Amino acid sequence: MKGRLNNRRNGDRLFSAVLLIPILVLSIAFILIPIVESIFLSFQDYGSKNLISGKPGVWNNFENYKDLFRSGKIIPSILITFKFVILVVLIQFIVGMALALILNSNIKGARFLRSVMMMPWIVPTVISALIWMWIFQPQYGIFKYFVSVITGGAVTDFAMLNNPQTALWGVIIAALWKLTPLMTLLLLAGLSNVPTDMLEAAKIDGANAPTRFFKIIVPYMSPVIKVSVTMSIIENFKQFPLFWTMTGGGPNDATQTLAVLSYREAFVSFDHGSGAAVTTIWLVLMILVVWIFNIAFPKEEMD
Amino acid sequence: MKRVYKRIGSIALSAVMALSLAACGGNDDEKSGSNKTTKQEEQANKTEEGESASDVTLKFANYAVLEQGYTEFWEGVKKDYEEAHDNVTVEYVSAPYNEIVNTIINMAASGNRVDLLFGEISWVPGLMDTGLASPVEDILSQEFLDTFYPNVMEDYEIDGSHYGLPLYISPFVLYCNKDILKEAGFDAPPETYDEMMSMADEIAKLKTDDGNKIYPFGQTTASVPVSGVALNAMIFTMGGRLFDDEGNLSVDNDGFKQTFELLQELDKKQYNPQNAKLKDLRNLFALGQLAMYYDQSWGFNGISSINEDAADFAISAKPLKGGSGEGKSMLQAHSIILVDNGEEQTAALSDFVEYLISEDTLQDYLQNITPAYPATKSMADMELNPVLEGAKGSESEVISQPFIPEISDIDLELASLAQAVTVNQKDVDGAIAEFKTKAETILK
Amino acid sequence: MKKQKSKNKGGKILAVIVLIIVFIFLLFPLYWMILTSFKTNMEAFRFPPTFTIKNPTIQSYKSLFTVNNDFFTYYINNFIISGLVTVLTLFVSILAGYALSRYNFKWNKFLIAAITAAQMFPVVSRLISLYGIMSRAQLIDTRAGLTFALTATLAPFSAMLMTSFFDGIPREVEEAAYVDGAGRLRSFVNIALPLTGSGIFACGIYTFLQAWDDYLHAVTLIQTDELRTLSAGIALRYLGELSYDWSLINTISIIGTLPMLLIFFFFNKYMVKGLVSGAVKG
Repeated sequence: MKGRLNNRRNGDRLFSAVLLIPILVLSIAFILIPIVESIFLSFQDYGSKNLISGKPGVWNNFENYKDLFRSGKIIPSILITFKFVILVVLIQFIVGMALALILNSNIKGARFLRSVMMMPWIVPTVISALIWMWIFQPQYGIFKYFVSVITGGAVTDFAMLNNPQTALWGVIIAALWKLTPLMTLLLLAGLSNVPTDMLEAAKIDGANAPTRFFKIIVPYMSPVIKVSVTMSIIENFKQFPLFWTMTGGGPNDATQTLAVLSYREAFVSFDHGSGAAVTTIWLVLMILVVWIFNIAFPKEEMD
Repeated sequence: MKRVYKRIGSIALSAVMALSLAACGGNDDEKSGSNKTTKQEEQANKTEEGESASDVTLKFANYAVLEQGYTEFWEGVKKDYEEAHDNVTVEYVSAPYNEIVNTIINMAASGNRVDLLFGEISWVPGLMDTGLASPVEDILSQEFLDTFYPNVMEDYEIDGSHYGLPLYISPFVLYCNKDILKEAGFDAPPETYDEMMSMADEIAKLKTDDGNKIYPFGQTTASVPVSGVALNAMIFTMGGRLFDDEGNLSVDNDGFKQTFELLQELDKKQYNPQNAKLKDLRNLFALGQLAMYYDQSWGFNGISSINEDAADFAISAKPLKGGSGEGKSMLQAHSIILVDNGEEQTAALSDFVEYLISEDTLQDYLQNITPAYPATKSMADMELNPVLEGAKGSESEVISQPFIPEISDIDLELASLAQAVTVNQKDVDGAIAEFKTKAETILK
Repeated sequence: MKKQKSKNKGGKILAVIVLIIVFIFLLFPLYWMILTSFKTNMEAFRFPPTFTIKNPTIQSYKSLFTVNNDFFTYYINNFIISGLVTVLTLFVSILAGYALSRYNFKWNKFLIAAITAAQMFPVVSRLISLYGIMSRAQLIDTRAGLTFALTATLAPFSAMLMTSFFDGIPREVEEAAYVDGAGRLRSFVNIALPLTGSGIFACGIYTFLQAWDDYLHAVTLIQTDELRTLSAGIALRYLGELSYDWSLINTISIIGTLPMLLIFFFFNKYMVKGLVSGAVKG
């Protein structure tokens, strides 16, 4: 009997391994190896010259990292990235939650609205960037017009993407536009998990809306909230095309996130070592954030 | 279970439908007279068929080949040259402007080297530094090289060799809207920055017919390297420098500071569209909302692609004089950078370049599409685009820049500096000090 | 009781207001894009902007279909690539998802951590080595190369999603089949797989949309125009250095979005259901 169980265990092991081989091969070849190579590069003096001549890079004693701090580029980039991620994720969550609650109540046309709502999410990122650039266009953009109407003509030349104070908000708005629908959809899904009879019971017991929300809805939805927020953090941490198309990191580096900085170092300045150093810092930060998030909101076993 | 298959089936069906719809679209286009697609197909076939030993394929990295204003010219070059040379195929390698240098470096890293690249002078030092660009003397005949203006060639010179060639010269000129100038009471474009400023005060009072603002003066400051190049040119016109002759950073001069003081003043008075790319300025100029602006001469192609009637009001002038400067600007030229890929390739390459940089090939293009000046003495008598009449001479009044491999990065920092004193309203001295720190780390 | 009702009413009005604001935010840009595409450039640049079109023109559409029709090559390529990526990603992630869900081995924990990390790593930093690897494998400038690269990027997330789908299916059914002598493969393919239909479907659509959206991979790995995909093609051809043809750009944006919208509306129901059940369990 024990032998048979062992046998079965070995067979399971083999079967499971075979099933995992494809994803492992792909991930090792196209993700793991490049990551490791990139981390190595970050400690080397490595530019296009090395790339073309095939000469290996030279260990440069953390020079790439030191330079990033010395030139004062990396700290603002980290802060801008965090500001962007926190604001987008937070607003996205609040708006998404509000929208999900509304659409989940028996409002007329909720189904239809739910489909219509998803439209921005389907628009390719590069195109979203273009749409918003066009709206924010400093001379004849519609946004400038709205601002001048709303302020009663007091502000007549508002240029979202040209002002270092507002440029990041321009990109945040575009990101919210593109990503809020998915968040809403996921939260909406989570809402359908909340047992309605329990809500009804609480209502009869006299629990008010906020109590019902925090005591019943949120706990039941916590797995969905966790997944969707983690997804959103990762997605926004990586955001590149929106920035690159809309602002290129400007004005005066006000929107230079880690993504933009690494691209600039590696592919505009052709200092691949320095670019790799930025992405290594970036990766460490991202793992840290997701880890902290996971500790702060531990996975609750629902069963 | 059945339903799942049904669903999968319907995806497949819709994919097929979408594809066939798109394909039908293609057919319609051909019928409606444009035979561009068919032409491309033919060329593709040709490449595949004729690959015998003596055949040569020239790989030409060219960002412009797909851009609306240029496609016709570049496709024409390929077609005509291939018709005249049976054994040579010109193969375009394309990538977006910002990505093309990166692309050819990546290609070279994996052993796939292009033969030539169409691009900017500012790309030359970097490509020479990586070892990709070859001295043109190694590939072209001295006789041909002698036809180029020596002062122009200076900008490609590094340690006695030249690492690129101008296809044509497109210097920075001041494009002016003569109708606006006239309305403000001026007959001629300004010659100095002081004149420009006093004219700007008048122009700023004007509005367009539909009541919109007219910007008096445009200088690009957006976060792209080419804005930095334009700023560098402006610094030159004010008599300033960025580097000394040995190539060391040297920005403690009046011209450098005055340039950014002027930009700050222009910004405070709201005379200069903030943070604009050159293409933004072209659009504004085309719409009659910008009275004067600096652009490379070829920029007019962009203006006229927005407003066909731009030739009626556009005139050009030489770059302005100011500070201790004589208005001497920076040389700009659409350039060809060559790569040595062995004798067989370079023989064909040499012939192709001579064909490309000739009056026959460039005449119509320079005169009607991309206003610019010829770069060789042999083309000196060529008829120019009328819009360039006013700026004549600016192609030779230039200062050459020492060899800096990291120039693109410095250019980006220059743009950041301009943004710091304009949109960020930082004080000029502080911003320059910050720029110096950053530039020094780049140059190490 | 009465008070409760009026409060409800107030809440409802508030809800409607929020709904309207959010939907204006989500939909106005699309409306504006459509409007601009029917304007001439000279009208598009008018300020204050015109909300109705004086002389509606289909010039941009005409030009897109006749002169600038290379666009459709990018389009078809994008369909092919996204399709290939979707099929391959589903294949890989269904296998992995099943293995991770059904068999508990020591390596699972490590694998899941690795997979989560893999999807976090920014593409930018992988580009250089990715290019080297692809060219050593002779996959540069080929559809296969781009497909593999994108699949590797998208598979981790899909695998996690599939794992949670399989987690949601009770094991007992397969267990019974196995004891009946059905073998592992058969109980996987014939029993577990059909039960995750909507999950696979949602996963497929999600992957397709992500692949459709790719820009950086395509720009780096593809050099020939005949193989270029949508976002890269748009950047290359219509965002050049020369000028902004906003009217044409808006037209492209519409044409570039429309088919995805149709597909989405068509499959919306399944997609929602699938993604939802995946996320809930995840």
